[in-house]
Amino acid sequence: MHVTTPDDGLEPKTKAAGAELPRWRRILRDLFRTRIDKSASRIRLVATLFSCLFLIIAGRLIYLGTKPDPQSLKRAVSEAVAAARPAILDRNGEVLAADVQNMSVYAEPRRILDKDEAVELLTAVLPDLDANDLREKLGSRKGFVWIKRGISRREQQEVFRLGLPGVNFQRENKRIYPNGPVAAHVLGATNVDNQGIAGIEKYIDGQGLADLNGAGFRLTPENLNPINLSLDLHATYIVREELRKGIEKFKAKAGAAAILDVNTGEVIAMASLPDFDPSNPVDALKSDNIDRMTVGVYEMGSTFKALSIAMAIEANKANLASRVDAHTSLRYGRFTIHDFHAQNRILSVPEVFTYSSNIGAARLALMVGVDGHQDFLRKMGQLDRMRTELPESAEPLKPKRWSEISTATIAFGQGLNVAPLQAMMAVGALMNGGYLITPTFLKRSAEEARKVAVRVVRPETSEAMRYLMRLNAEVGSAKAADKKGYFVGGKTGTADKQFHGHYASDRVLTTFMAIVPSDQPRYLVLAMMDEPQGLPETGGYRTAAWNSGAVAGAIVERVMPLLGLPPRFDPPVQPFPDLPKLGVTALNNNGSGAH
Amino acid sequence: MIRFLNALAIMALIGSALYAYSIKYETIFYSEQIVKIRHDIDREHDAIAVLEAEWAHLIRPERIQALADKHLDLQPQALNQIVRPNDVPERQVKVDMIGRKLEALGLSEPTSTPIDITPTDNGTTPSSQQ
Repeated sequence: MHVTTPDDGLEPKTKAAGAELPRWRRILRDLFRTRIDKSASRIRLVATLFSCLFLIIAGRLIYLGTKPDPQSLKRAVSEAVAAARPAILDRNGEVLAADVQNMSVYAEPRRILDKDEAVELLTAVLPDLDANDLREKLGSRKGFVWIKRGISRREQQEVFRLGLPGVNFQRENKRIYPNGPVAAHVLGATNVDNQGIAGIEKYIDGQGLADLNGAGFRLTPENLNPINLSLDLHATYIVREELRKGIEKFKAKAGAAAILDVNTGEVIAMASLPDFDPSNPVDALKSDNIDRMTVGVYEMGSTFKALSIAMAIEANKANLASRVDAHTSLRYGRFTIHDFHAQNRILSVPEVFTYSSNIGAARLALMVGVDGHQDFLRKMGQLDRMRTELPESAEPLKPKRWSEISTATIAFGQGLNVAPLQAMMAVGALMNGGYLITPTFLKRSAEEARKVAVRVVRPETSEAMRYLMRLNAEVGSAKAADKKGYFVGGKTGTADKQFHGHYASDRVLTTFMAIVPSDQPRYLVLAMMDEPQGLPETGGYRTAAWNSGAVAGAIVERVMPLLGLPPRFDPPVQPFPDLPKLGVTALNNNGSGAH
Repeated sequence: MIRFLNALAIMALIGSALYAYSIKYETIFYSEQIVKIRHDIDREHDAIAVLEAEWAHLIRPERIQALADKHLDLQPQALNQIVRPNDVPERQVKVDMIGRKLEALGLSEPTSTPIDITPTDNGTTPSSQQ
């Protein structure tokens, strides 16, 4: 097309036309005629108007972009809906926790026409709804409210038949725990939105699951890998069952028991009574239902003597042939340290262990000194909070001022409160050849454990401690757990509980640690009871050997075959080959000459 | 000729349009099928999850123990009940004990029951039967 410039073609033409047209047509034409010399102001006006228009549009766009979303229904639903969680399995793949789908019914109050009618119909179909509460919810100006979560198929059908506009269904995930209270303390609990609020469930959320859900990823159970715990469901059940029987029999207030794999640090079984059903998370928060293995801190009593003796051997202050004066009570100002089974003579180190001599343990610890004692306990992880996957943990209770008396009493397990699992970690390190391995609740192999393990004592020290544990099961206080074929080693612990600032001898906390088998350690079993009572058949004794020891023995007998550890029929030949180096020459064979 | 070509072109156009439409509708049909099957799969997954949970609930040790205590005469396993393969006694040579007993009693020998030798009409004496 030919473009005409204003000078040549257009100008004369318009002029000619202007001459013959009527006046009003000319005005109209002038109004629409564009001439760069005459209509500059008009063009500017139009340009300004358009600029303003575009500015308004741009401003509006920016406003809409920055304004928080008018909550769309879909978004509101996806935010409110219970998120999917990975299944939790035990070490053999048995289900400990899983998601199932169920339906929930919700409403969009803005779309409900007759609120009173809706309330009436809904409460008729779902009788457990509170009418006032529902009326208030539907009267709100929200775009989305839950009416009831987790309804049955029949209820869903009935609500559907009501045909109320603005009432809809949403599929949700619901967490179920098929084993009830078994392993409850490890699993923890979830709330109605399927968020972990305790235990491993909370740990899973901390691993990024909550972030993924929050970012709007639609997670389904299919695209989440299940989590394998270190627990063995059947072992855990038996541990809980034996503990329950023991608590019932000895009328204890509470108790706890666990099995730790000393080579991998895996917790194979753990129970703490009283416990709760994870499906009812309210109970999980009651203070009586705390996990006594990781959250409760206790004076572990004589089981701590193992640490004191190991420390003295490790520091080369003593060996198994050393002798300790337990002739008289140890006096510190107004404190006097007595022996429960007083021998009133000079004891050898193995005798300190088997007679559970407080004086002997205190003297051994004092040989190392206050600083050495603290360093050793810190190295063994007894002075700092132990962190496992479980979010709940407790700081040990240490003496405010660590004096010589503190060292003397802590040497036999009084004055330092630690979580029982923490004590198990330390004793496990003394047993497994000297590697401190932080316990885990997730499945792991011995190689992975070795990578995080820290050497804390020499292998010879570990062997000496295994020998002492075994000796104690043969001739000492741990006979209750000496199950034939398992070469069990053990140590009892009976600590008087502090009551109104005094140690009350009628309120005790008894613990028992058993190592299975002593020559090639695999599992460390702990049983603990809070305030067990003496019974006629125990001669009125409430010491650990009678109650916690019996429970630990029953656990060994029932669980070990289940864990694939068969009983051996011949006692091991040379279970402790390095003993001659440690000063034991005469007692080389199963400690037959210990007394 | 030109007219024929035009007609042909129009026919081809209509034909290809029809073909394209049929493919389009088929695609829609199949994508609907896919969505439907996905829903079915989801539903089956949910059902499997529910069944697995139910199974886990039914085989929980607590319940099995209660059932075993009620219906079975079994005791808890004791350690002395576990033996090595070597300690299992060798299997005995298979012996026909009943046969031996009969032999010892002399029952396998021919009996001295007197035989009725008088011939009968139909010949059905027990001794004559084979």
